[in-house]
Amino acid sequence: MRIVSMLVAFALAACSASSQTPPTATPDAAGEATADASDASEDQATVAQAREDSAEPEGPADPNPHITGDMAASARVAELKISPSPVEFTRGETVLIQGRLTDEAGQQVTGARWAVLVPGPLDVESIKDSIPDSYTFSGDTPGSYTVPITMPHVEDNAIEWRRFTEFEVIVRDWPVARIDIDSPAYGTYEGSVFGLDARAITTHETVHATADVSWSSSNPEIISMTPDGIATFKSPGQAVLSASAEGLEGSLTVQVQPNPVRSVELSADQDGVRTGDVVHLSPDVLGAGGRQLEDVSIAYSVAAIAGPADGAQVYDDATFVADAPGAYRVMATAGGRSASVVVEATPREARRVSQLVGRGAVAHVATSDLWVFEGNDGRDYTYTGTHAQGGGERMYVWDVTDAGSPVLTDSVVVDARVVNDVKVNEDASWAIITREGASDRKNGIIVLNLADPAHPTIIAQLTDSLTAGIHNVWINGDVVYAVNDGTSAMHIIDLADPTAPAHVGRWEVRPGEQNKSLHDIWAQDGLAYLSYWNDGLVILDVGAGIKGGTPRDPQFVSKYQYRTQQPEEYGNTHTAYRYGNYVFLGDEIFGCGDCVNGPRGYIHVVDVSDIENPQEVGRYQVPEAGTHNIWVEDGLLYIAYYQGGLRVVDVSGELRGDLYRQGREVAWFQSVGEEGEAIVPNSPLAWGPQPHKGNIFMSDMNSGLWVIQVEPPERPLVP
Amino acid sequence: MDRTVGISSLTALVIAVAAPVLAGPSEPGSVAATAVDTLKSGAEAPDSNYWIFVANESSDLVSLVRFGPDGAVLADDLEVGLMPADLDGAHGVRVAPDGKHVYVSLAHGTPFGKVWSYRTADGALADSVTVGLFPATIAVTPDGSMGFVVNFNLHGNPVPSSVSAVFLPEMIEMARIETCIKPHGSRMNRAGTRHYSVCVGDDHLVEISVERLKVRRAMKVTPGAEQVLESLGEAPVGASAGPVCGPTWVVPSFDDKHLYVACNKHGDVIELDAESLAVLRRFPAGKGPYNLDVTRDGRLLLATNKGAQSVSIFDLKSGEEVARVPTTQPITHGVVTTPDSRYAFVSNEAIGATRGTIDVIDLMSLELVASTEVHHQPGGIDFWKSAPVH
Repeated sequence: MRIVSMLVAFALAACSASSQTPPTATPDAAGEATADASDASEDQATVAQAREDSAEPEGPADPNPHITGDMAASARVAELKISPSPVEFTRGETVLIQGRLTDEAGQQVTGARWAVLVPGPLDVESIKDSIPDSYTFSGDTPGSYTVPITMPHVEDNAIEWRRFTEFEVIVRDWPVARIDIDSPAYGTYEGSVFGLDARAITTHETVHATADVSWSSSNPEIISMTPDGIATFKSPGQAVLSASAEGLEGSLTVQVQPNPVRSVELSADQDGVRTGDVVHLSPDVLGAGGRQLEDVSIAYSVAAIAGPADGAQVYDDATFVADAPGAYRVMATAGGRSASVVVEATPREARRVSQLVGRGAVAHVATSDLWVFEGNDGRDYTYTGTHAQGGGERMYVWDVTDAGSPVLTDSVVVDARVVNDVKVNEDASWAIITREGASDRKNGIIVLNLADPAHPTIIAQLTDSLTAGIHNVWINGDVVYAVNDGTSAMHIIDLADPTAPAHVGRWEVRPGEQNKSLHDIWAQDGLAYLSYWNDGLVILDVGAGIKGGTPRDPQFVSKYQYRTQQPEEYGNTHTAYRYGNYVFLGDEIFGCGDCVNGPRGYIHVVDVSDIENPQEVGRYQVPEAGTHNIWVEDGLLYIAYYQGGLRVVDVSGELRGDLYRQGREVAWFQSVGEEGEAIVPNSPLAWGPQPHKGNIFMSDMNSGLWVIQVEPPERPLVP
Repeated sequence: MDRTVGISSLTALVIAVAAPVLAGPSEPGSVAATAVDTLKSGAEAPDSNYWIFVANESSDLVSLVRFGPDGAVLADDLEVGLMPADLDGAHGVRVAPDGKHVYVSLAHGTPFGKVWSYRTADGALADSVTVGLFPATIAVTPDGSMGFVVNFNLHGNPVPSSVSAVFLPEMIEMARIETCIKPHGSRMNRAGTRHYSVCVGDDHLVEISVERLKVRRAMKVTPGAEQVLESLGEAPVGASAGPVCGPTWVVPSFDDKHLYVACNKHGDVIELDAESLAVLRRFPAGKGPYNLDVTRDGRLLLATNKGAQSVSIFDLKSGEEVARVPTTQPITHGVVTTPDSRYAFVSNEAIGATRGTIDVIDLMSLELVASTEVHHQPGGIDFWKSAPVH
């Protein structure tokens, strides 16, 4: 759902089943409640009757006018054969296929109705009006496709389409022109084991989509090969390695050198750590005379001495992290020689206490994003947006100078059904709120003057080219970056004069293509981080001096795209926040197989120390909930984790692996709104957190504003 | 899973909580001053209950409204959409000819929209299919096998969009047929052989062959420059200064002989010969005629005046506008007439947090006889069924 679908289970559980609820929605009209209530049972009965009537029409039905002669012919069909068989063509070609339909006696049936159900990548056109029972097939995506055939089945005066049969269509890639083999990544020494890579290249200089490259060795006594390319270098000598596909072969002559390794030494930069601390290993592979060998492949492994068997991880880049307390033996092996170190891991800090400081309950309309700031009058304020349920046409203004008692001072009403985002500029002189669902379908942004921050006033709006609705914005000096729901582009708006916002440009991935969706933007220190859903994280230079970008003329820096738990799809990149060497990326996943109690998704920890080559190095995942907005400050990651409430995670120091297992979560708080203080009681839907002056302010879609305090640890996070 | 939801319970709970007292046009749940929840005094009581579905675009609920002797009432809701932090945008709604399914287009996605199919018998979500950008109006072939949804792409770049052809029994997109800029107003002919849509962004009427799933021909409907085209490629789309007609809807007459096109920008409705596409008549309407329907008896044509909070009713024999019926809320959107040609149901979006309404017009007296509030921004509307009152 939107808020309803997620919460209604709770609502119904708390308030009775839907069949027992009033059917009308006019409860605030004085004097009508009684009438509505008295109609309730009758209306429900009528609804049920209407549905029954729909399922089983009354009395003898008139002949169904949609049962046509070709459907009667379909009923006689016993067999449908497709020619040619098999249907096979090269990508880019078009073939004609024809069906021959016969009855049980083997006689041809003409004029029957049937249709092929088209798998997405194929382009199919019926040409039955010119050639009976014929279609043309074409396609540009190599693969094998099962094409179902459906026919109408007439029974009891009703038409039901049923699958009749199916046939296979094979779209071939262009022919293989050659096999490209990569040079070995390591020295080919006796005793080494590592993988080799090869690719089948087509006549169109593309990597063949379906060809399987298979490996073999001319002399398995010297080098043995698995079919998928794992080489074991057994003894000195020469062998020819072959990679073949589609009848073509490439070869690589490899000379196996005698094993030069005499010993392996291993040390660690720490031997006593907490769980989650990253240990760097230093392997030395030594040859004769203690000579350092740099090109020998090294395999790492870890075994628990004390602690769970799967309590620690060691990575190919020579790093070790313990997830669980214990003692672990870490081993490095090269050229048949090994060395090991023992690392002991103790628990991280004890959980901190979180407690409620103040509340600004909003129970009549859903709450969206928030922004907390010190106003020009020296007082502290929180602005919160509103979402569709209940009518999201407002931004609420809270005086939170006394964080324990937020005071609602005013609201700003606009023509919208969602005010999704609120942002205040650096000197707190103006703010932006976004609009979606405007009655004239011209949404865009609203600029507020904060001369009196307790009572902001509208000074400008911009709808031109932003009609679709703006989901999120980011303020970068006097420039605003707006997420345009319609174009899926970042629109760049000049607010040097806040009373006259003006377009100055836009940036988007894959210009001209439609299959993209921008969701959020965050910029700091001259770099903009765009959460581009299926395109992942996109990093732009907006003044960092890396690629010559400026705030008004961004330049692409890099992109990090990842797959979610839906294995065939990228995406759901919802939010990004840069802190230190890392960008914390949040998913937003609804409707998945695991989403039994609401959304799923987690925080991807992406190392951007090489800004042009982002690498995912870790994750933080609450298994039973889904992430939304985040904030990082002073080594703590604050996550509004929808039904999981607020989560506070220690992200100090170097990060690697599974932060949840490592015990880096130091505090949590469930924003449980009670009866009368939430749209649906006892159902957290945490939206966004922001620390401010020692407190955590958080909006909850279901219950409004929360002020939370997380007590400091007894000792520093980083020793 | 039975997805039928008595949203009324949730709404009641919400409204029971006092809202902060702040300035604003209206509080959520407020009743429109002109709403007629019971049958209007003096109106002839219907002898049947009529049921219609309407999509509430800014609530992501599809409402089931009943109109009967007691007036109009919001009877039930179906939830649509997945994303709590984004409006999924339930926009178009169409009931299968056998009444067993109702199809709902969800305009917003990441980026593509979807069509969801519900079983009317129990309100359960049956299936869904991804289509193009901002799917809006849905049409269904008379045999119920194919659905055509226009990918409106209302707010995207002004480039040609498409019509998705969906095999409804299995909810498989069979083709995405490129047409023109901002296609809207998807409707079938009665024979089930031709599909019609119009393009708001470049003044086109498009006819698609249901058999071939290809554009059969097109027409430029710009007033004074009407032209039948063998293909959309004949005229450079979007090359003019902008649409003059701004067509938002097309509907065939029940006998398939005529087509009616709403010129939203030009303020009138065009009557075309369905075979030759010759312009036969023009019917001046109110400001911004938006959606259309014709009665099955061929007597009346109805046009919602989106910019004038009213419905224009035309006598098709005389060509006269015989009534202009004010509606209970602004942003008048959809209209559907009952198969007995007795009543018309009209959706009114309203503004902001004010709930929209469904108005009922008696097509004999040509007056509004009932109304009920639904949720936020009701738009797409379709007739489900009627049953005699015992």
